Amino acid sequence: MTGAQAMVRCLQEEGITKVFGYPGVAIAPFYEGLYGSDIEHILVRQEQNAGHAASGYARMSRRPAVCVVTSGPGATNLITALATAYADSIPLIAISGQVSSKLLGRDVFQEADMRGATRSFVKHSYLVKDPDDIPRVFKEAFYIASTGRKGPVLIDIPMDVQQAELRKQFRYPEEVFIRGYKPEIKINPIQLKRVVNLLDQAEKPLICAGGGVILGNGEPVIREFCEKFNIPLVHTMMGMGVLPKKHPLNFGMLGNNGKPYANRAVGRADLLIVVGARIADRAIPKPENLTRRAVIHIDIDTAEIGKNVGPTIPLVGDLREIFALMLDAEISRKDDSWAAELEEIKRNTVDTRVFSDRLVDPNLLVQKLSEKMDEDAVYVADVGQNQLWSADNYIMKEGRFMTTGGMGTMGYSIPAAIGAKLVCPERQTVAVCGDGAFQMSMNELATMRDSNADIRILLVRNRYLGLVREYQHYNYDSHYEGVDLKEWPDYGKIAEAYGIPYSECSSNEALDEALDEFLGGEGPRMLVCEVDSENNVK
Amino acid sequence: MKGIFSVLVENRDGVLSAVSGLFARRGFNIDTLAVGETDNHEISSMTITSTGDQRTIDQIEKQLNKNVDVIKVRRLNEAKSVCLEMMLIKVAYNVSNRTSLIELCQLMGASVMKVAPKYLLLEYHSDPESVEDFIKVLKNYGIIEIQRTGTIAMEK
Repeated sequence: MTGAQAMVRCLQEEGITKVFGYPGVAIAPFYEGLYGSDIEHILVRQEQNAGHAASGYARMSRRPAVCVVTSGPGATNLITALATAYADSIPLIAISGQVSSKLLGRDVFQEADMRGATRSFVKHSYLVKDPDDIPRVFKEAFYIASTGRKGPVLIDIPMDVQQAELRKQFRYPEEVFIRGYKPEIKINPIQLKRVVNLLDQAEKPLICAGGGVILGNGEPVIREFCEKFNIPLVHTMMGMGVLPKKHPLNFGMLGNNGKPYANRAVGRADLLIVVGARIADRAIPKPENLTRRAVIHIDIDTAEIGKNVGPTIPLVGDLREIFALMLDAEISRKDDSWAAELEEIKRNTVDTRVFSDRLVDPNLLVQKLSEKMDEDAVYVADVGQNQLWSADNYIMKEGRFMTTGGMGTMGYSIPAAIGAKLVCPERQTVAVCGDGAFQMSMNELATMRDSNADIRILLVRNRYLGLVREYQHYNYDSHYEGVDLKEWPDYGKIAEAYGIPYSECSSNEALDEALDEFLGGEGPRMLVCEVDSENNVK
Repeated sequence: MKGIFSVLVENRDGVLSAVSGLFARRGFNIDTLAVGETDNHEISSMTITSTGDQRTIDQIEKQLNKNVDVIKVRRLNEAKSVCLEMMLIKVAYNVSNRTSLIELCQLMGASVMKVAPKYLLLEYHSDPESVEDFIKVLKNYGIIEIQRTGTIAMEK
């Protein structure tokens, strides 16, 4: 058995049925191994999107997904996607071909030091020099990617190692032994008791849920906890979907792009329970203000605790375990006036949204779209104004809301939606992007057609790099420089070139009909909604 | 504040760069770094000293612990540890100050490794503070070249 065949066997052992990739000479032996195997290869049109598609796939399947690239430029193209996945803690296995091990370090054709280049963007990386190490390395890589705080793991494999015969019989290890990696964390019973005591005494406890809740499959247990003890919840952008928007205990997204009543809830709470969130600058611009009251910080990653805000009580561990224990704890919640108080604030918060009657209003667009979408639909928001309009107006039901909150990588939505759709072909999947992000990823329309991942693409078009334009408006006296996308391209012709049914909408009145058509029927579709460039998020 | 970390790592290629890269990426400062194999050739031991506020020193420990190639991190208390540093130093001398330099070496316990016509090559090891002090004094004679190992430390 060759190294390449062993790599394929390892993927099969891990239950991998699809890989996203882009071949080249240095990874050609692996592709020879894939040939005729039961693993489907999805050819993307640029390597970065192999990473994003795998990210969408991993988030939907809640398991590590695999992307494959060749050495040199193929590998370096993938780095942005790795950094994106790392910032959002998405489990990926990135396999990169490398020049022959004998030539390493000589700057031969298409050599790039991938381990060195990706060091701060991956959870761990391997350079495999012996084909007999392949089973162990793959086993470890999948284990590391999918345990603890999840993240991408890189496996860089020189071409000659892929070609070489294994000297030993292939045996996929059943267990992993890594001296320096012990992701199972025993929950500290004393800390847990202190948390329970604080909860018991608190009059106004508030849960702040981050993306870690979804990554840790913790939505059901958090929901049960909130409902059992009548504890309200706010969430970060990455934590959208922990509770449906209409759930009576969900008080929306916090932060400078969030709801005013969510931020007021944070202001009034006497106990904040932060779960799976890093409390970064976008969610809580002044974390030092938080330290004046009790903060419980629950995370799987010890290093997140106290990185941005010093908690009163840190609690490290798997949140499903922690909340299962807390569900059984004696916590008396004397009255439910706190949730009622927040409900009152929410009710009295004036909806300051003024729908623009010039062209399509983006807020109304997202609201109507999400109302019309299926109960379990998947919504992938790109980056820019469209992302903030989405987060602000999306009516979350029982589906998924995915975006890249940590890195903010433009061009994420289309490849990620393709990946997500391939996990659940039966679920309605919508990618929402601006004209900037679309033009960064429109090459992937071909991937979408090839793989029959029939996603719906909504392009919010304002002919500008809107969020930068908005920034220049507020900070540089409306000196718009380098943000004008002008008239290009003709999106209808782009859609036609890929055989995608296409429509446009340019008024609020026509929106209902346009959205019904957009969401209806079978197959892929693309809708361009014209939005006035003067519409700002703030 | 000063942080002294005794770190056991996998003795593999790339590990040193991963550890030092971690410091660079997060803006932590490395004051000294000393690395060597342990009795188990698969495992190396590093002593890293750093300065920063409490949050920084805590973060260094946590981030080191996250690295898969890092097996164990121990934070050492300077008062409860033996901290040593070694240096080789070439010090210029002339006829008038040679005697005082040699007396100083005897007083400090520095060994003369080579006597050259214009300089002495000295070896000196002690706690980091004494090494600093010794260098300050030697500056009066003229330092030609200096090599320091960085601190190694062990809990008492």
